Amino acid sequence: MSFWKENKKHVYWNPYFGGFMLGLLLIATFYITGRGLGATGATKSAVITTVKTIDHDYAQHSAYYSKFHLDEGRNPMNNWLVFETIGMIAGAFLSGALSGRVKFRIQHPPHIASNKRLIYASIGGLLFGFGSQFARGCTSGAALSGSAVLSLGGFITMAAIFGTAYIVAYFFRKIWIN
Amino acid sequence: MGPLTYFGEISTEWNYVIAIFIGMAFGYIMEASGFSSSRKLIGVFYGYDFAVIRVFITATLVAIIGLLYMGYFGWIDYSVLFVHPTFIFSATIGGVIMGFGFIIGGFCPGTSLCALAIGKIDGWVFTVALFVGIFIYSLVFPFIEPYYNMGDMGHITISEYLNISNAWFTFWFALISVAIFYVTSVIRKKVKEVRY
Amino acid sequence: MSKRYILLAIVLIGSAFGLVVLPNKHDTNQIPAEEFLIDIYNPARFLSTHQVAKRLIERDPSIFLVDVRTPSEFEEYSIPGAFNIPLENLLEEEWADYLSQDGVDVVLFSNGDIYADQAWTLIAQQGTKNLYIMKGGVNQWFSTIIQPVEPPETAPSEAFDLYAFEKAASIYFGGSSANVESATTTPTKKTVVVRKKKKKAAEGGC
Repeated sequence: MSFWKENKKHVYWNPYFGGFMLGLLLIATFYITGRGLGATGATKSAVITTVKTIDHDYAQHSAYYSKFHLDEGRNPMNNWLVFETIGMIAGAFLSGALSGRVKFRIQHPPHIASNKRLIYASIGGLLFGFGSQFARGCTSGAALSGSAVLSLGGFITMAAIFGTAYIVAYFFRKIWIN
Repeated sequence: MGPLTYFGEISTEWNYVIAIFIGMAFGYIMEASGFSSSRKLIGVFYGYDFAVIRVFITATLVAIIGLLYMGYFGWIDYSVLFVHPTFIFSATIGGVIMGFGFIIGGFCPGTSLCALAIGKIDGWVFTVALFVGIFIYSLVFPFIEPYYNMGDMGHITISEYLNISNAWFTFWFALISVAIFYVTSVIRKKVKEVRY
Repeated sequence: MSKRYILLAIVLIGSAFGLVVLPNKHDTNQIPAEEFLIDIYNPARFLSTHQVAKRLIERDPSIFLVDVRTPSEFEEYSIPGAFNIPLENLLEEEWADYLSQDGVDVVLFSNGDIYADQAWTLIAQQGTKNLYIMKGGVNQWFSTIIQPVEPPETAPSEAFDLYAFEKAASIYFGGSSANVESATTTPTKKTVVVRKKKKKAAEGGC
């Protein structure tokens, strides 16, 4: 039994069960709101809010920020996706806490130093932030929610993300495996 | 008949409350499936853990099939669901950039938030970098705007594009998915196990 | 590979295949034939020229007149306030919001009854409610509202009441029986404000 306890933090759901639950959640989300889930939308809102607070004039006249009609006095944080993201963090914490996985740490492969891992994580985050805006959505917003209603763009984005990662995986293998 | 907010059956205030609960379920499912671990996520590309692709494809299939059935029985108005618009160029190039981000960073935005929630510093760093990435995008947006709007195909679905019915597409997609599940389970047995 | 995974795969493919073999659903946009037949035989789909005139005089906002004749006929003469959607363009997407409005009675008319009736059939099949035909069309409009005929003296008093109304309406619509010329002036164009139905759900996320 002690073996079980020790390994409990690695006991995740069966992926097919997880997928089934996620599928049901997608259906519920579409049933209630008519659109899917998202993850970068809230990040975008936060960036917009920050830029607006620092330099309101710039935000109003920049080609990118003016798309969000800041002059109409709308608060970009009053957005469905922002609330969803707050819930997401809470839900993930709940699951982690129930399984004893909450702990401050840097997860990295044994042969990679933790500061190197953080550098890689930041490069990846930069690329993902940029790419998600260019593609109008990330893995959850475009690929998952798009595919759920058979959107062509959703399938293309999904194929592009996973395809690219598979193709270049060989060149980045040193980051992850020996 | 759904979608409920579309037909005005739920007020905006409740909508936000529901958003929090849906988000909680989303975060819980992702974390419980192990998506807060970059090493587990990345396993899909090196063959030692296929959880990502299994969860992802199963979820997509369940949602597609469920929504089509609900549309058929008239529980939801399928025609008003938000279909992610297709811009061939930006969807492909954006996807390629995200593919690089995935393999280097080990997360995608949703999973990095899960990692952040359970105290993983790499998740925090990824999320902060995500903000910076979006900010950089906003700075260069005027220069890339023509490319952003290139190849606009509107709110088109893949079955419309392939000129087959939704049902047949779903059927073939299900067959291919089962094949993928089988092949990945074979690969998984051949690849050296990675402990993480 | 265990048996339960095989079972799950079969369930998955089976439910996907179920979508394929489901019988083709009746297009929900079209109402069933039996119901439609009843609607066709329902005389309530006709409004008399008097009813239309009365509501126009009262400036009833819940009436929307649609002239299904050709634009040239419309230019020549039409009922004041009417909106021209030629029969051949009736099913174009841009008119959908005009022809199906919540809480507004859409009244179709042509020169006689035939084209208006065809228009009615086309639109009503989409399940549109509050759809009417002005009985007799522009011809009837002329002979009752613009140039009313005095009933013979032996007619019942109701006929005289009606004639009184017709005379008044005739003056209102600028075509008193004495002055036919002014009746054929160009109709006043009404700027139409149609509340557009929401077409797409809110912008998607991520």
